[in-house]
Amino acid sequence: MPIVFACAGSHAPGITAWTEKAPREQVDRFVGGYNIVQRELAASRPDSILLLTSEHWANFFLDHIGAFCIGRGESFEGPIEPWLRVGKAIVPGNPKLAEAILHHCYESGFELSYAEELKLDHGSMVPLKFITPEMTTSVVPLIFNTLATPRPTARRCLALGQVLGLLLERSDERIPVVATGGLSHDPGEINHGFIDREFDAEFLSRLEKGDLDRLSAYSDRELLKAGAGTLELLAWICLAGVMAKHKPRVVVYEAVQLWATGVGIVSYAPVAPRA
Amino acid sequence: MSTYGLNKLIRDINRSPAVREEYFKDQVSLLDRYALSVDERQALRSFDIGKLYRMGVHGLILRPFTLLHEVSEPDYLKAIRG
Repeated sequence: MPIVFACAGSHAPGITAWTEKAPREQVDRFVGGYNIVQRELAASRPDSILLLTSEHWANFFLDHIGAFCIGRGESFEGPIEPWLRVGKAIVPGNPKLAEAILHHCYESGFELSYAEELKLDHGSMVPLKFITPEMTTSVVPLIFNTLATPRPTARRCLALGQVLGLLLERSDERIPVVATGGLSHDPGEINHGFIDREFDAEFLSRLEKGDLDRLSAYSDRELLKAGAGTLELLAWICLAGVMAKHKPRVVVYEAVQLWATGVGIVSYAPVAPRA
Repeated sequence: MSTYGLNKLIRDINRSPAVREEYFKDQVSLLDRYALSVDERQALRSFDIGKLYRMGVHGLILRPFTLLHEVSEPDYLKAIRG
């Protein structure tokens, strides 16, 4: 069946850990955006979510690191951060779906890493808190290395998305795809607090136009220039590949200085259902 | 990220409740289990955020670590920009 729903949204820890530091109007607009996609997701009656996410040294480290890693565990615990203000949860996995994705990807030229054990950090738990607050919908995490060099290219991420899309389109399960991360930010680094509004506007515009050529041409350097965390948009580019000819709409974008991040949400649902 | 042992130790403190507990209880025995230079050990013992950053601790390892110590954002930024 066609992919039942897709969206992408930011996961900056300040969204939950220091929500109230941001201006109330910005918080309301952003959380309102997550409420919209939460309703759209629920309306899609998901069996399992494929979560395209980046993490922050929760699982990846330099003792062993790959470009992409899929979680095929029975469940995943998170968050690892005691200060995140997101309750501890054991999120169910879907090993059968993960296995199917793994084999399909191997057949199609993408040898993903795989792990029975993965920890979820704010990169997964912040979006899940909003879109599946009960944490009972099963999730297959696919983690992108956006940290250590060399990192996967935008071109490969888009191509991976296209490969994933082919499998999901013919799945009997109802599988929405959710990407997390971005937009421009430089967390913990010298330019922490810098938000590249111009970059964010252009990226969202390319996404809305379905300009896959441009999306796949973003270079590591170009993304890094907008801040190290901006590399998380590789997951959004992968999602654009999954959704192929479908184009998203921008649900919300806010440059939230006190979260040190340009935060945004896009949805591939054509019309938001009424609350 | 050239300071492999240092990054590894701080990353373990961030992600593992058991290591975190040990760090706050008995730092010396924890530090002994990681390959740290004298300088790295000293920077960690004195909680010198600026030095740790300049030594090469990754921002996404160092900032969560300082959040465990409830270091404010302005204080963190002042230290790394020092």
